[in-house]
Amino acid sequence: MADLHPVPGASADQLTRRDPAPPPSSTAGPTAGGPRRGAGLHGMHGVLGHRSPIRPWLLLAPALAVLGVLLLWPLARVVMISLQDYGLRQIASGESNYIGFDNYAAIFGDSFLWTVVLPNTIGFAVACVVLTVVLGTAVALFLNNLGTFWRTICSTAIMVAWAVPAITGTYVWIWIFDPLNGLVSSVLDSVGLIDPATTNWFTERLSFYAIATLNVVHHGFPFVAITVLAGLLTIPKELHEAAMMDGATPWRRFWTITAPILRPVFAVVTILSTIWDFKVFTQIYLMPGGNGGNKDVFNLGVWSYIQSFAQGKYGMGSAIAVLLTLILLGITVVYMRTLFKEEEL
Amino acid sequence: MSALTGTPSSTPRSAARTPGSGAPGDRVPQVLRVKARKRPLPTAGKVVGIVALLVFALFPAYWMFSSAIDPEAPTRGARLLPAGVTWDNFVTVIDDGGFGAYLRNSIVVAVGAVVFSSVLALLAAVAVSRFRFRFRKAILVLVLMVQMVPLEALVIPLFLQMRTLGMLNSLLGLTIVYIAFSLSFAIWMLRGFVAAVPVELEEAAYLDGASWGRMFWKILLPLVAPGVVATSVFSFITAWNEFIFALTFLQQSAKYTVPIGLQKFFGENTTDWGAVMAASTLITLPVIVFFVLVQRNLSSGLTAGSVKG
Amino acid sequence: MQRRSTVAVTGTLLLALGLTACGGGDNGGGEAAGDAASADHSGETLTVWIMEGTNPDRDAFFDEVTTAFKEETGADLQIEFQPWASAHDKFTTSIAGNTTPDVAELGTTWTGEFADVGALTDLSDKIKEAGLEEDLVPGLVESATLDGAQYGMPWYAGVRSVVYRKDLFEAAGIEVPTTWAELQAAGEALKAANPGLIPFPVAGDSQYGAMPFVWGAGGDLAAKDGDTWTSEIASADSVKGLEFYTGLATSAGLSTAAATTWKETDLLSNFEQGNVGMMISGSWTPGKIVADVPDMADKIGAFPIPGETEGLSDSFLGGSHLGVFAASEKQDLAWEFVEMMTTGEFAEAWGEQSGYFPGQTSLLEKVIEANDPLVAPFAQQMVEAGASVPVTPLYGQIQGKKTVETMLQSILSGSATVQEAADTAAADMNETFGS
Repeated sequence: MADLHPVPGASADQLTRRDPAPPPSSTAGPTAGGPRRGAGLHGMHGVLGHRSPIRPWLLLAPALAVLGVLLLWPLARVVMISLQDYGLRQIASGESNYIGFDNYAAIFGDSFLWTVVLPNTIGFAVACVVLTVVLGTAVALFLNNLGTFWRTICSTAIMVAWAVPAITGTYVWIWIFDPLNGLVSSVLDSVGLIDPATTNWFTERLSFYAIATLNVVHHGFPFVAITVLAGLLTIPKELHEAAMMDGATPWRRFWTITAPILRPVFAVVTILSTIWDFKVFTQIYLMPGGNGGNKDVFNLGVWSYIQSFAQGKYGMGSAIAVLLTLILLGITVVYMRTLFKEEEL
Repeated sequence: MSALTGTPSSTPRSAARTPGSGAPGDRVPQVLRVKARKRPLPTAGKVVGIVALLVFALFPAYWMFSSAIDPEAPTRGARLLPAGVTWDNFVTVIDDGGFGAYLRNSIVVAVGAVVFSSVLALLAAVAVSRFRFRFRKAILVLVLMVQMVPLEALVIPLFLQMRTLGMLNSLLGLTIVYIAFSLSFAIWMLRGFVAAVPVELEEAAYLDGASWGRMFWKILLPLVAPGVVATSVFSFITAWNEFIFALTFLQQSAKYTVPIGLQKFFGENTTDWGAVMAASTLITLPVIVFFVLVQRNLSSGLTAGSVKG
Repeated sequence: MQRRSTVAVTGTLLLALGLTACGGGDNGGGEAAGDAASADHSGETLTVWIMEGTNPDRDAFFDEVTTAFKEETGADLQIEFQPWASAHDKFTTSIAGNTTPDVAELGTTWTGEFADVGALTDLSDKIKEAGLEEDLVPGLVESATLDGAQYGMPWYAGVRSVVYRKDLFEAAGIEVPTTWAELQAAGEALKAANPGLIPFPVAGDSQYGAMPFVWGAGGDLAAKDGDTWTSEIASADSVKGLEFYTGLATSAGLSTAAATTWKETDLLSNFEQGNVGMMISGSWTPGKIVADVPDMADKIGAFPIPGETEGLSDSFLGGSHLGVFAASEKQDLAWEFVEMMTTGEFAEAWGEQSGYFPGQTSLLEKVIEANDPLVAPFAQQMVEAGASVPVTPLYGQIQGKKTVETMLQSILSGSATVQEAADTAAADMNETFGS
């Protein structure tokens, strides 16, 4: 799931569908009722012997086993480790070493969390989410106004932006902003705006995160654009036409027609982006100074990694990971609420 | 999340409509007046928009590729076109950088993750969308919740778990973890595709005396194949791009996957931007190709899958 | 008390050289691996991690080693090269994951740290059996020793001095500097003569570049009192040295902003590209520069780091041990490899090719006698002004935290004054020292 979240359904949808379809979140479509109808029918077949009551469990068993062993148990274990002073010695001996909430006390008592790590994590996530959603929506609205040919060209182009892996994308941005020979410093130098000898964007917290934000937004906006576009194509044209008859401006039409209909789509892309942008690791860790040399740029993910894998303080690293998980859990609750209002499972 | 599953459920309906209504040309005459007013952006504005969008979207990829073939990449500065065309950087990367092995490792891991997560997810998706049973909803909620767990937070416990199992430093261990990562999303997505297959087709198979297994192979599987393909792209990319688990699990360069190989290569050749960009290009191309190929597959698959009746 | 570590190492080194001269430095055990009635290990493979970038012709060297080792023992070698910059994390992770190699090259400051967590095998007995204990450079033995047991076999020693562009110095009529003021003046003259050049890049991600100036000003990283260490990095003398060193970048303008995040490898590659006038660089780098850029062979020179007003500034006497990991199931085979690498012909060849000084005193003396112009300044630095970082496993942890690098980067980027950054670093060190 990591950092590239193609939603091939939605994207393919956009590229192949030449026609409006029902709003993706609505359950009103003829086939969205499929599961329920199927459920009604298979009751009959249960009687006929096609479907025994244990069959669904047999089908689910492998997947549940994998999820249980590789996601739920580790989740419990990270909490357990976070309550220990767990270092290389404990790992080697396999002994536990519980110290209660000392790790948490140390984290919350450290001004580093409040002045550096949390502001970095939250500020960065908020900036990325806002920019990603706004840019993605703007692109989707623009694409929606294009003819099929250009829409396909542009969609393919933004798919390329999407397809570039986070790690290579990060190195490309580092190269573009390289202080000595990079594109940006060369251009700004040639017009006399900066002196490359005194400019290094990777050392300042703000400019470091500005580059990281550009990286993450560039990588993330295609998801929003493609998903929102899929939603836009479902809005009946009659609505817009009627509003235009009434003389509504495009701006007004967006807010009175498009936005309300697409509200669930916006909720989904916003919350997913929030979750992804909170836990960004690769794009920060690989930038100059991001691997521990420049503590001003740590976020929760990098801090947890450095504490554990670089310094062998696995208990402390786990506590930071738990903190990150709890923050995201809060966001997940909001997500679930939004979702379940809209769609029945 | 519902937006993500919109396609399959809407497929049959869209198949019934005429293509091309997104283009302005096929409006009925009555709305001609409206149509004229409907284009708020002048053509020039659209051209500017298209150019801006293409440049923004493609520039990093262009810069990567053009630096990779530029014989003087490290001193490129603001030169928009490469100084020449050379493949030396690619040769360096494969011969000295060891990327042949890294690419092979990544393919092994990604294919393993794709195959297993697709199979497991398909079975689970059939269970939740074709059967009604106790705790069904609870399981759906679980699958959804699991997607929200920041996987980065699980590095430490999974690292220790794999240590106990002796599967650190092995491609198998990494593959298993990637299966788990792509599984919940794959279940969620395939669930929509399975639900979109008309139940009537299954009923017909049963009436012909088919067993459940036969129905699954002959009816359900071919119809959800496009969905499986779509899910595969996703699992593939997850496995191909993943960084932090590979970084901590793999300690031997013979086992490195491409992201870790690239990190190591960059550490050794910090200012050799031509070679670093060539390595990046090698890693990126398969993903782009995969995207494009599968998109084509997907469109034909979707059309084929939209059964009338 | 404050300069204890420095004096100790310098002293023992001189002593070592003296001892060797009297003791008769004939080959201490070059064929030792062959003498031992070694068991047949064919079919086994020994995994070895070697640090990246020390020997310009490493592949050829290790091909020979692999062949010779196969002949001796029947076993195969699998050599992995690890970049210095990420190696410490890599070791920590592999120790945690129980995926350590059988044998690894260890930076001298790490050996104690890894021994302390039980990851390394005590080699004292093997060294004694092989009769090598008298013939090892004491400074390297000291850093490999924890609680009386020796966990690392001295392989080579290295030291940093100044590598410079002789051609540019001559063209601009600059003399080799002998004081800090002259060093700065030389940089300024270089800059005046070559506007595009970075005269003296101050690399923010290189801790060892800063240490000569801390020591040269009379400061130190930490001092030991009884059993506890206390950081000295924020003392008046240390800060004075740091102010001079970072001032070369921040006030004299001899560096470039990009260097704030440079590692030593960045220094080196920029030097090779001709962007750099002089740099603090290791004894192993001139050989690599010449191998990578043959044109530079007669354009480069080296000089020991001058003292503030006279003499030399101490420079970190670094180097590597070969350590055997406790988790390895091939302890005997591993030792045979260690012995083969650190003594006799391979140790000698490695030193010649890499520009490092052998860890065996008898071999070290030969190198010093040869008086190569690209080696002699380093030998002088090593013998007259080599110093060590605090010899405690805790200092390895401090290095893992990149405390000194963080300090340098915050000074160079202007986010903290020298005193502020040094205070932060001192507090950070003391937290680890537990003082």
